[in-house]
Amino acid sequence: MSEIARTARGRAVFISLMLLPAVAALGVFMYYPIEETFRLSFMRSSGLGDAAFNGLANYQFLFGNDEFRAGLAHVFLWAFWSLVIQLPLAFFVSYSLILYRNRITKSLRAVYYLANILPSTITAMLGIFVFSNTNGVLAALARKISWTWLAKLDFIGDPTLAFWAVFFVATWMYTGFPIIYLMARMEQIPLEIREAAELDGAGGWRYARAIVLPMISYPLRILAVLMIVGSLKLFDLPYLMTKGGPGDATKTLGIILYNQGFVNWQYGSAAAVGVVIFLLSLVLTIAQFSWQRKGGEAE
Amino acid sequence: MKKRAFIALMVVICCLVVVMPLTAQQLKLTVWGRDLTDGEPDHAYVTALIKDFQAKNPDITIDYVALGDPGLADKTKITMAAGSGLPDIFQTWGGSTMGGYADAGRLMDLTADLGSVPGSAAARGAMTWKGKLYGVAPFFAIAGVFVNEGIFKANGLGIPSSVDQFERVADMLKAKDIQPFACGEADKWPGLALYMYLTDRFGGDIFSQAAARKARFDNDAFVKAAQLYQRWVKKGYFGDKPLGEKYGDAQQLMATGKAAMHITGSWMCAQYSSKDFTDQQIGFYAFPAMKGGKGPVTDIMGMTDIGFAATKVAASRKDAVVRFMKYAMSGDAAAAEPGRVSSVPGVKAPSALTTMASNVFGTAKLVQFWWDQNLPPAVTTPLNDTIQTFFLPDTDVKASLTKFENLATQNMGAVK
Repeated sequence: MSEIARTARGRAVFISLMLLPAVAALGVFMYYPIEETFRLSFMRSSGLGDAAFNGLANYQFLFGNDEFRAGLAHVFLWAFWSLVIQLPLAFFVSYSLILYRNRITKSLRAVYYLANILPSTITAMLGIFVFSNTNGVLAALARKISWTWLAKLDFIGDPTLAFWAVFFVATWMYTGFPIIYLMARMEQIPLEIREAAELDGAGGWRYARAIVLPMISYPLRILAVLMIVGSLKLFDLPYLMTKGGPGDATKTLGIILYNQGFVNWQYGSAAAVGVVIFLLSLVLTIAQFSWQRKGGEAE
Repeated sequence: MKKRAFIALMVVICCLVVVMPLTAQQLKLTVWGRDLTDGEPDHAYVTALIKDFQAKNPDITIDYVALGDPGLADKTKITMAAGSGLPDIFQTWGGSTMGGYADAGRLMDLTADLGSVPGSAAARGAMTWKGKLYGVAPFFAIAGVFVNEGIFKANGLGIPSSVDQFERVADMLKAKDIQPFACGEADKWPGLALYMYLTDRFGGDIFSQAAARKARFDNDAFVKAAQLYQRWVKKGYFGDKPLGEKYGDAQQLMATGKAAMHITGSWMCAQYSSKDFTDQQIGFYAFPAMKGGKGPVTDIMGMTDIGFAATKVAASRKDAVVRFMKYAMSGDAAAAEPGRVSSVPGVKAPSALTTMASNVFGTAKLVQFWWDQNLPPAVTTPLNDTIQTFFLPDTDVKASLTKFENLATQNMGAVK
């Protein structure tokens, strides 16, 4: 065998050996659990060693169940409003922080990101502290200034308001990272483009609309996908603030998965919810990549 | 040099020969509990239990792990499912959850060892599953009515002796801008206490029949109880925003005199009799009977307040486990508890309020275990979800109960 071939084969073996640990870890910690989840979704199991195959019964149960349908609707609603409110808000705030550079806006960057690094339990407690109708900040303020219309609102206990109370807290919590991310991308826009735009009279918010927005469309799409996938997996804030209530008003697929598995001891149904979340996330991610390829944009 | 090394080696071996038997005699038990051992009044029993048991049993070391609530339930469930990493002893409310672990073969049968330990029949029943005893329940809680006696006295109200009187009293309190009942239904489970009693008063022991699949969960008694519950909610007996009120808020309303009654478990006796928690004069009373109803006032709802069960991993240290369980059921250990109703005979109630609760417990002719501890786990959260829908004014309660019955049929079998 030639020296070149031996070297090439040796290199291939070396590369394979170097990749082996990562592939093994991926297999054990990612692909195997996914396969097991799929398998468990076709079983009836309490998690105590009594698994029995029951076909599509778990999926039939879920899609015929009001609670699951409510959870599905809520995650899509959450995704929709995240795109309509959180993404534009993040763009607005990040551009403002760049446009109006001073000492105050510099320290505001840390403030906006602070919410993102707080543990979700702390954020949920703060949310309850604000919205609780007995001892909450809003209720106390309403009583103090005699705003009876505000005092009457039950942000946590009213099914029509609970979703928005949780969403408001989530907006505060989750907008920090997009703000910092978009700021970083905006600051990468070449100075010559900015100067040229200013010479042409496109300053301030016109520059944002005409130049910045198109130039950061790829990061915006990334954030949109992250928000949508994040909505599908949403669990911590609604669970900690309202436990999915009142009724099913703030139930999400994540809460249903948790309840089915760890409270109701229905591991098969919980796995089925997990599969639904996985497939929806996969479809949306593939759709995003296809859209990107069609758009022909790349970083 | 070789001689020195040999001597050093012999010294090490001698030390090991002496030390190892001593350490081998020291048994270790891992105990998972809910309460921190921090000296808080609510945690006083567990704190004293761990400390005093080790003092009295120097050959046993307790590795106590405080997991809180729901941390204890979650971690126990996960390790039971995995079958590994189990503790030797864990705190439990007994009932169907413990029964699930027993059916999976994870628990140690202690019938022969603990069957003769004196204690209340109800507490023993809660720790028994399919005829086998898996642990002890030193404290047993019953549901009853905490009444702000100061508010009642100031308004010339008597303690209600019937469900009809409850309504009259509640109307009078509402007229005086006092919330008749604190509840905490934002947390879903607190509303169960009242619903259990209303159903019993309408239909007697109908729940046991439904649980045994001899009656439906949407039969007359369940529906009438739900309709009455919903009527009380609409009349504002639970405040203007009942679903925004968490259990902690309910306690605060009682503690500050903003609510007049609280239908909940006797575990609240410690707090409601503590001067650090409230300056209100609060008493404990049995839930009254209903005129024309089936369930008498001696039908009491209850559950394990503090219980311990042992797992199979402790089989080689069964003697140590039994010693721990017996000590947990001793008068010495129970005396440290400042508020709960003890199921240990001869233990003096620690407060006047606990005495009232114990007296109510003493009148019980039928003890019905808390429903969400007595049904299969697959239906307990849906049960509490169903009860929470009674708090929504537009809910068709019969339809809600029928949906629950369908779920019960799927998981427990059809009505025979």
